[in-house]
Amino acid sequence: MIQIKDLHFAYPRQEVLFSNLSVRLEAGSITGLLGKNGAGKTSLLKLLTGLLHPISGELSVMDHQPRKREVSLLNDVFMVPEEFFFPSISIRDYVKAYTPFYPRFDHELLDRILIEFELGNERKLQRLSHGQKKKFLIAFAMATRCRLLVLDEPTNGLDIPSKALFRKILAGSLDEDQLVVISTHQVKDVENLIDKIIILDNGEVIFHQTIQEISQKVAFISGTSEEREAAIYSEAVPGGYRLMVPNGYEETEVDIELLFNAITNGHKIG
Amino acid sequence: MQTNNSFSFHRLMLLFKQKLIINKRRYPLALAAFSGSLIISFVFAQTINNFGNWSNMHYVTTFISVFVIVGIAYSAFSFPPFRSKEKSMVYLMLPATNSEKFVFEILSRIVAFIVLMPILYWILANLEGAVFHYYFPELTNYKFSFRDGFLAIVKDGKFEFWALILTLQGILFMFIAPFAGAGYFSKSPLVKTLLTFSIIMLSYFLFAFLLDKSLNLEGLHPVGKNLIFFKDGQTVIKLMGIGMVIVNLSLLAIAWFSLKEKEA
Repeated sequence: MIQIKDLHFAYPRQEVLFSNLSVRLEAGSITGLLGKNGAGKTSLLKLLTGLLHPISGELSVMDHQPRKREVSLLNDVFMVPEEFFFPSISIRDYVKAYTPFYPRFDHELLDRILIEFELGNERKLQRLSHGQKKKFLIAFAMATRCRLLVLDEPTNGLDIPSKALFRKILAGSLDEDQLVVISTHQVKDVENLIDKIIILDNGEVIFHQTIQEISQKVAFISGTSEEREAAIYSEAVPGGYRLMVPNGYEETEVDIELLFNAITNGHKIG
Repeated sequence: MQTNNSFSFHRLMLLFKQKLIINKRRYPLALAAFSGSLIISFVFAQTINNFGNWSNMHYVTTFISVFVIVGIAYSAFSFPPFRSKEKSMVYLMLPATNSEKFVFEILSRIVAFIVLMPILYWILANLEGAVFHYYFPELTNYKFSFRDGFLAIVKDGKFEFWALILTLQGILFMFIAPFAGAGYFSKSPLVKTLLTFSIIMLSYFLFAFLLDKSLNLEGLHPVGKNLIFFKDGQTVIKLMGIGMVIVNLSLLAIAWFSLKEKEA
């Protein structure tokens, strides 16, 4: 679905952000895009959606060049940005004004998600809190049934129950022909949701594996200072250490935060 | 199903529908505010002219002032989403082609204004005139007509083709220049557009002055004529008309490429 090869990008009068960036993503997954501040996560999402234009290299999304912003691509791509704007109208009017542009829009799904998020159709968008606006935008994004959903920090501003709801809705509403790319710093919010991890650092993809592949290679356990010796990477936590160890122990859930710190500190898991 | 990636009339209509839904409260309010201001301006101007000295020419003069000032201001707010990054993102990702968005902006900002503004003005002028004539019978010239305005363009009952072209292009320029500026500049487009054109015009006059002085072109005047290089005034108007067409098309091209290459 997404093919990036030798992508070169820089903002005007700024240092090069991506040089020779290459990555390939297929439909049917929820991919977590991780990276430090300034690593280029949001820029990459904007390049995918045609909001930024690459300087050189190949960038193809569903066999389209996003920079051309062709309708056949735009009605199959939806981005939930970190900062967004809504006109001063009701949810009902927003739906009336925007849904005709999305041929696969699922009104029933929207109604269902809005009920789960406790958002009524008559509410004015400008009067909603930031978190409520974000929930509406996520609900709208899901209901477009776009094959590529790009979510930039989707859980920022959501309360704890809403974060759980977000995970439930996202996991339960996707089709196999859809790809979701989530950029986030709140890795705990997307644990048990994403099935693939990409880590960006210094303008390069330094890690790209599925959760299954990671689980087969390493385990994440709590341990003592003795066990720390055998760990690939460890971090002190109250009462001991969190360890990333070679597999051989029981299969564990992937601790994305620990994995991220290990990878960005130069450790490899094979 | 094959999606039309060039131009769809249906999607253009959807853009209009979307605009109307979003602004369904703002448009009536703006219309009421504009109409009210215009009627107050008429009354104020008629009071100054002591009602009896009010003529159709006053209506035309007021119309030209309002048409130019409001038209420039309205065109300068074209591409409203470009004023903020968040709005730009929504706008650029909306599934409509650049050509549909561009045509929509031209129709809603320039064509709609040029067509609707005179009609609205005519209705309000006659309405206000009729009402005030009822209470102030000394207001005898209260029926407004655009006929006098058109007579200024038409000479001896005939259209002077290039004069008409130049006039029309000049009018269009007033709208197209701020329109292009609104597409090109994200922040304070009107101020930046006026500044840009001021710099261009000043540079041109400075260049012409220096050229005139350095080459001593004054010596080239044919005896008894004020024109340099050209045979007569008609040729000058023709060339200026062609020049204005080129300038307007170039400005539209700038607006088009600003939209096409816009990033957020």
